[in-house]
Amino acid sequence: MAKVKVATVWLESCAGCHMSFLDIDEAIIELAKVVEFTRTPVTDIKEFSSVDVGIVEGSVGNTEEEETLKHLRANCKILMAWGDCACFGGVCAMRSTFDKEDVLRRGYIETESTYKGKIPRPPGVPALLDQVKPANHVVKVDCYVPGCPPEPKAILYALNELLAGRIPVLPSEMMRFD
Amino acid sequence: MKEITLTINGKQVKGREGDTVLDICQINGIDLPTLCHYKGLSDVGACRLCVVEIERERRPVPACTYPARDGLVIQTHNEKLEKYRRLILELMFTERNHLCAQCVASGDCELQSLAYKYQMDNARYPYSWPALPVDSVNDYLVIDHNRCILCGRCIRTCDEIVGMHTLDFGNRGWKDTVVADLNQPLGNSSCISCGACFQACPTGAIFSKTSAYKGKPEECQKVSSICPICGVGCQIEALVKDNRLVKIDSPDLIDKRGILCHKGRFAPLYKNNKRIDTALVRNGRGKLESRPLSEAIDITAKKLAELKARYGDNSIAGIASSQASNESLKAFKEFITVTIGSELIDTLDGDIYRAIIQGTKTYQATAGLNIETSLEEILKADCILVVGANPLKSHPIAGSYIARAARQNKAKLIVIDQTQNAFVYHSTLWLKPKEGKEALALNILTKATIDKGPKKGSAQAKKTAASLKDINVKQGSEQAGIGADDFLEAAEMLIKAQHSIIIYGEGILQQRNPGLITALLNLAAVSESQSSGKPKIISLKPKGNSRGAWDMGVANPSQSIIKNLTKNGVKALYILLADDYIDSAELPHLRKEIEFIVVQSSYFSPPMSKVNVVLPSPIWTEVGGKYSTLDGVVKSTSRLIKPPDGIKTDSEILRDIAKHIKNSNRK
Repeated sequence: MAKVKVATVWLESCAGCHMSFLDIDEAIIELAKVVEFTRTPVTDIKEFSSVDVGIVEGSVGNTEEEETLKHLRANCKILMAWGDCACFGGVCAMRSTFDKEDVLRRGYIETESTYKGKIPRPPGVPALLDQVKPANHVVKVDCYVPGCPPEPKAILYALNELLAGRIPVLPSEMMRFD
Repeated sequence: MKEITLTINGKQVKGREGDTVLDICQINGIDLPTLCHYKGLSDVGACRLCVVEIERERRPVPACTYPARDGLVIQTHNEKLEKYRRLILELMFTERNHLCAQCVASGDCELQSLAYKYQMDNARYPYSWPALPVDSVNDYLVIDHNRCILCGRCIRTCDEIVGMHTLDFGNRGWKDTVVADLNQPLGNSSCISCGACFQACPTGAIFSKTSAYKGKPEECQKVSSICPICGVGCQIEALVKDNRLVKIDSPDLIDKRGILCHKGRFAPLYKNNKRIDTALVRNGRGKLESRPLSEAIDITAKKLAELKARYGDNSIAGIASSQASNESLKAFKEFITVTIGSELIDTLDGDIYRAIIQGTKTYQATAGLNIETSLEEILKADCILVVGANPLKSHPIAGSYIARAARQNKAKLIVIDQTQNAFVYHSTLWLKPKEGKEALALNILTKATIDKGPKKGSAQAKKTAASLKDINVKQGSEQAGIGADDFLEAAEMLIKAQHSIIIYGEGILQQRNPGLITALLNLAAVSESQSSGKPKIISLKPKGNSRGAWDMGVANPSQSIIKNLTKNGVKALYILLADDYIDSAELPHLRKEIEFIVVQSSYFSPPMSKVNVVLPSPIWTEVGGKYSTLDGVVKSTSRLIKPPDGIKTDSEILRDIAKHIKNSNRK
């Protein structure tokens, strides 16, 4: 049987969900027998063609992240969201309560450690969106593993459910937002 | 009440007329999710999570506000209702800024628990991301509006349980927020920082600065105890982790003496005063230096034995703080009166005790402290007289009772106080006597009450009237600085009352004037139309265990020891402060004639500059003990945490010293 192809991306996030994924420990050996990871931050592969499962960590806060997520969605059959940022916006979304320009000014000019700062502008860098969005507010998401980060056992549960041909919904006792 | 029968989820269940549908579900073990419902509060149907389907109702209705009727047919759980509930949760999460990962309440949050239960792994609605303020001006409490779901539990707790009604909703529609008073920061409002709103809050919107991030409830051990700080004697439930107090809650907010105030809920978690954790002895250069406890005990015993031998038993006096537990006070009394054999024993508040007891004797020769009534009588009263007291500050739960009686029972509240206190705003009438004219004002009010009242002829009234025959309402009122009309109005209220009660405190007690106490008792006896002549009166005593110390006879009932140290030729003074923190004003003047002063105390306090030996005391959270409430009920505290290494209880130290003294006598 051909291996299931999986691509993962991280957008606006801390990499914690991917770390938690690696924390599934020896289960990753069994997983590698049936799953082929194409593009992931772990394999450091950047290019991929269409895959069976796309996984997104992080929220969408700028135009590049929006594009990356849309590209992943277009090239996967099932899209899974990992972590509070992708599921709800998470810590990254705290900036959504402020004006975008205030956030940039605070970060690049007013920070105490900054001397003669300058706000970087497109086209050199991607433009910030007005508000940070969870993945399902940009594209259709099929399943979710919330948590900050999600428990390794929750990630493994969701992956095993997908391998068994079911769309995972975390049972209440595995749900975590922190 | 009439029993009714309903059909819920196809099953016949029973309830009583007057129950809500939610009540009946809860009685019958049907688990309905709720957020705005809280035991003991009125229901408002704000969160809509308990919606149920009732036959012949056009749409789902909240179970918490729907009065149950005989024969109702109800569905509580079906696909549609569960879908609605998850939808409500998603709307709540997207309405404000709920970021569990950095919230103090994560893991102890009713909103989060319900989201888990309903497997809410995403939210489909657009996020509002409103810019909301965080109010952290209060010493103990923070209101983070980002996490508020507007359930109103804090508001109803503040109003219905505490009686203050500081919190309410402000603004309209999506701008609606919880506000204090007229949208003041909580720390500048009428809030008494009792923390009941914090306990009632289902999310992390109201949290305590002292408990935040110290530990989650499941990591803590729960210990039940009593708060001995002010003498009301509230029940507490302490959460302890790694020998540290994480949080103090009330085991039941609606229980009597269960509300707690900032002293019981927050103060034990702060470490404001410098702790004494080792014995200290004044060295040759006049400095206090740290010594082993056994050595300090030895020095104390030797010196006391020497002075006792040279100057006699009555050259040594003992003064205790009434903040100490009954056990410590008992050991102290035994030490001073038996081991030393001295008659000179008193409490720091002994003069107050003598004023009360003498004033009471003048009123009725056989009466003592037992003439006072219980605090719960306040909740039954329809007319309350607060004299020279600021209960919201000194005894906040007694204050809360008064506020509740005034707000909820529409009790008339008369304040007699020279200075402003919080109750002036709740009061029906504020009488403001000139300085030193309180007794006159009370006597005028008593006379006016007898003159206007229907019971002029009773023996009590006649006796009191005879003692007040020199008082003229018109002339007297001018001297007292209060209008005669005000006196008559107050008298009218007292006469009309079915259950009146008098509460007096610091402003009266600090004058140490027995005449004032007699005047108060006379007034209490002639008030209320149905009066049996038995006064309903409570004094708000200065220390947490004043009543215990007084009942145990630690303070001398007739003679002030504390004022006459020099006159009595005292050469040594033993002061038991325990965990009381006092200022020098509370202590008697310590003259040079006193050769040797020992203080047993948990904290460094100003009097330390004059003492020869300091012995460390544990604080109440570190030992269990008995305390008497201000209305005379003995209650037991339990040990919440372990004391620092090497700290012995007050009684152990006193017994050790006694043993040394006995041994030296034998030699």
